[in-house]
Amino acid sequence: MITKSKIDETLLKRIDNLELSDRLFDLKHAMFSAQRKVSVDRIKLAMESWMETEGEDIEIRRAKLFKRILEEVPIAIYNFDIIVGRETEHLVGAPLFLDQVGDAIPGIWDGTDGLDLTQEEREIVKECSRFFAGKTAPDHVKKAWHSLVGTWAEDVTEAKGSDPTPDSGYFPGITCRALWEKILSKGMRGMIAEAQAGIQRFQEMKETDINKYYFWQAAIIVCQAMIDYAKRYAKLAVSLAEKEPDPARKKELYEIAEICEWVPENPARTFHEALQCMNFIIVGRGLEAMYPVLIGRMDQYLRPYFEQDIRDGRITLERAAELVGNAITLWGMKTVVQVGKTQKQTHQFSYSINSINISGVDRKGNDASNELSYLILHMIGLLRLSSPTVLFSWHSQTPRWLLLKALETNYLTKGGIPLFENNEHVVATFVKDGTPVEVAREWYGQGCVTPILPTKIDHNGSEGKGAVNVAFILDLTLHRGVSQITGKKIGIDTGDPCSFKSFEELYEAFKKQYSYVVNRVLWLGTVAQSVEPQYLRFPFNSCIAGPQCMEKGQDIMITDETHSYGISDRAIVDTADSLLAIKKLVFDERKLTMPELLQAIDNNFEGERGEKIRQMCLNAPKFGNDIDEADYMVRDVGEFSASVIYAYQNPFGQPCKVSREGLSWHYFGGLGVGALPNGRKAKEPLNDGSISPMRGMDKLGPTGVLRSALKAGFKESYASCLNQKFSGSAMQSAESREKLAVLIETFFKNGGQHIQFNLVDTAELLDAKAHPEKHRDLVVRVGGFSAYFVMLSPEIQDDIIYRSEHGC
Amino acid sequence: MSSLITNIQGYSIHDGPGIRTVVFLKGCGLNCLWCSNPECISPYPEIGFIKTLCTKCGQCATVCPNEAISAKPGQLPVTNRERCSGCGACSAVCVQEARVLYGKPMSVDEVFEAVKGDQLFYQASGGGITVSGGEPLLQPRFVSELLRKCKQADIHTCIETSGYGSESALRQVMPYTDYILFDLKHLSSALHRRYTGKPNELILNNAKIVISSGLEVLFRMPLIPGINDDPQNIRATADFLYSLGKKPIAIQLMLYHQLGKGKYESLDKPYPLAGLSALEPEQAETVQEMFKARGIDCTISR
Repeated sequence: MITKSKIDETLLKRIDNLELSDRLFDLKHAMFSAQRKVSVDRIKLAMESWMETEGEDIEIRRAKLFKRILEEVPIAIYNFDIIVGRETEHLVGAPLFLDQVGDAIPGIWDGTDGLDLTQEEREIVKECSRFFAGKTAPDHVKKAWHSLVGTWAEDVTEAKGSDPTPDSGYFPGITCRALWEKILSKGMRGMIAEAQAGIQRFQEMKETDINKYYFWQAAIIVCQAMIDYAKRYAKLAVSLAEKEPDPARKKELYEIAEICEWVPENPARTFHEALQCMNFIIVGRGLEAMYPVLIGRMDQYLRPYFEQDIRDGRITLERAAELVGNAITLWGMKTVVQVGKTQKQTHQFSYSINSINISGVDRKGNDASNELSYLILHMIGLLRLSSPTVLFSWHSQTPRWLLLKALETNYLTKGGIPLFENNEHVVATFVKDGTPVEVAREWYGQGCVTPILPTKIDHNGSEGKGAVNVAFILDLTLHRGVSQITGKKIGIDTGDPCSFKSFEELYEAFKKQYSYVVNRVLWLGTVAQSVEPQYLRFPFNSCIAGPQCMEKGQDIMITDETHSYGISDRAIVDTADSLLAIKKLVFDERKLTMPELLQAIDNNFEGERGEKIRQMCLNAPKFGNDIDEADYMVRDVGEFSASVIYAYQNPFGQPCKVSREGLSWHYFGGLGVGALPNGRKAKEPLNDGSISPMRGMDKLGPTGVLRSALKAGFKESYASCLNQKFSGSAMQSAESREKLAVLIETFFKNGGQHIQFNLVDTAELLDAKAHPEKHRDLVVRVGGFSAYFVMLSPEIQDDIIYRSEHGC
Repeated sequence: MSSLITNIQGYSIHDGPGIRTVVFLKGCGLNCLWCSNPECISPYPEIGFIKTLCTKCGQCATVCPNEAISAKPGQLPVTNRERCSGCGACSAVCVQEARVLYGKPMSVDEVFEAVKGDQLFYQASGGGITVSGGEPLLQPRFVSELLRKCKQADIHTCIETSGYGSESALRQVMPYTDYILFDLKHLSSALHRRYTGKPNELILNNAKIVISSGLEVLFRMPLIPGINDDPQNIRATADFLYSLGKKPIAIQLMLYHQLGKGKYESLDKPYPLAGLSALEPEQAETVQEMFKARGIDCTISR
């Protein structure tokens, strides 16, 4: 255990004075202005390998596929790189994963994909799509679901009842960070030794489960492939060095070559080696699978290397800053091509989900903040990056100087970076669910706000169990199980609402409907987990990210009790506001009859009478204004929903967790929900975040919203998502940041879970909409997920402008 | 007892210590050219009209009891300000919220209840209530009763005043006030009258009273280019502050901005300083230095 050392204040001051170096400026500028390029190399190699290995064991086949890609995928080193390695040879490139997701790129067949591909490249994509179509895990999951419930799963997807699904951007897999401490201290060589030991044991003990044997064989193949891949960079660096006229860069290239010769094969010895090793592992993961780049608590894993190199004078602070800046830019700008139907609602390219944690506590519960935490925040501020997501893990011992630095970064990035999460709530929730407290303290962010443990393999967001649309289920309740948008019967008939004599009757009907839909979604998701590993394995990710895979000789895709499950129950606020509006207008005050209200909803509040009813609906009490009955309604719906989800156990007896994240899902989810009694029209976006008030309906400003959020509680959820938008003056001066720090502390000390601040002014947003070319680096957050403003679709831009105008 | 309130603004972080709630009253004795709250000048309720939100539905005209609104189909409604009584009937029916009622009558208890909700944040930050406007000293009974209630509930109290109120009003409010934000606009009484409509003797006298009371005071000076930022006025202001007392005096510069422009339009009032551009903090640094050179603690609000 590292004893808590005194913070070096001189070092903090020196960090404050660091400016963006020319190299980082060039790197950022080049990457921002680069054309994002789809690369077909990976998928072509994957197809060739898959053809050649037909008939072999699936674990071995996937290992050989990985090896083939790493051996032959084109690589490049750019003249500003000191951390090398990207998934493609392009500055900002996105490989394709048809082997994982199947024929899932929208528009590829009719040429409306909008991807910048040459004729030849498009033919390759088509060939691969054709080749993998029907063979992949999602294809088989769909078949399984079909035989179980007919078209039900597709009907739910069509109605945006759950997300993601095989049709809406689903990719099978897991989300967990790499085992950084182990990788950095043992290297790939250490992993290989473990696999060899497994093989030896298997032989000696005459074990019989051949799958284990194949797993360890595969492990050796992939770890060796990773080593060889790094050596390709070493070789490339030498050849570039030989031609390099600038002596300084020449020397640097030779250094890079030496480092790539050493890591990730061997344990990292220096800060530079550690960062380079991490980058290779991230690139390797990114070539095996379409995965989130989960970095986790890098201010903890890298701290010993940083402190030792700075102390011993092995590295200057300026150089350390460049390395951090270089690595974070690479990770933040990792790009994927969206698959499935979500792309039409959001954007075609997106940054891979990724996340860095800052602060938090150590295993004993002591504050873990340090100088490296400060440096990372400083570099993100200097680079004004919107990605990666940075999760600031606040706890009651978090030093004010770090919180203020985080708010400065928040101001510089113009919003959402970092997001603030209450470590104490997360730890308490894990402990309540039976996790030992020392383990719970090591949690990290899954990508947005959802916390996961390094001892678990997490399935949040996959297998159709990412999210369930609560407002959609209210919609079903009001229409006897039929979706207003698609007209299909998806739920059960819970009775004609017009026959209900009391609000309680309606609420009961909703609860019945909810249990039915949610249990089916969770059931089908769990079925998917039994289907997937038959068709898809990830030997490399198993080695470097599966906490016990190597020991057990078992692929990360095969589920057991070390796997953790969770779902996000979204649009609770819309649902609660709507229920309350019905209660007030129909049952308490009798201003409307149920048939009148339903007719207005079914006509999307059209006509004069419809508009009048909509106004009555809008004027009903809304969450976010410190009105008890509205806030407690949200709490009640939340608690009920969680009770249904927690009650669902997987085959290993583990309950399903609830974590209420946001992403930009509210646009997508809204498309499936008809007009609601809260006054929202059909297909309009739902509320963003998970505990944010209805758009434009919070009248008291941020503190009023916070008061409501505290009452609603969401204590049953691991995380929730509250977005707040501020004008520049709320964060510009050190004095105003002090006040914001108090706001955060007060909210968290009283049980708040998450808050993040966007900072934009309307004029800038309007100009960015009209002249996106001038505002490439304008950062905005959409419900827990960060993006550059210019990448967003027009309707999302309009929403942000709307919020800016009506903001605080 | 009630008063007309135009707004109660939570999480106000630029109007006194800590996180505060600012209560904006209606009615002010001054009429400053640069005023950014023109809706708070008149002591009577007024209707604002935000034309960009208007859908020309004509509802407002049909409900107006004073026939003050003429709405032709397809055109924006026109308000006859002479006839408008500020009754709010039009804003009540305006679905788009294009018609806004400035000035809602609220009792001391109602305002107190609205302010009390943020107690959690006041305590953590050293914040509380700030009564602004408009001019708090024009409604000393309401304000002192409101602040008394707040103090009783352990809420820090502050007023933001132009200083243009009677000495007795000031003495009525002070016992319930922890902190005073006190505006100084111009040291020349003649110019003060030109730009604000009133001379400054009363204000300067009140400034002396608040300082000698021992209350915490932060002077504030709206810095308006070409109006009060000349070296002569800055020196005079600094001299005045210096003359006030033993303990160090603080002044905060409030930079001229045009954020209130839309509100003038909504009231069908001309914007008096059209053409003047907003100030950037850097432009105020010379002025700040002049104050500092005289030993005055001078900050720039941002």
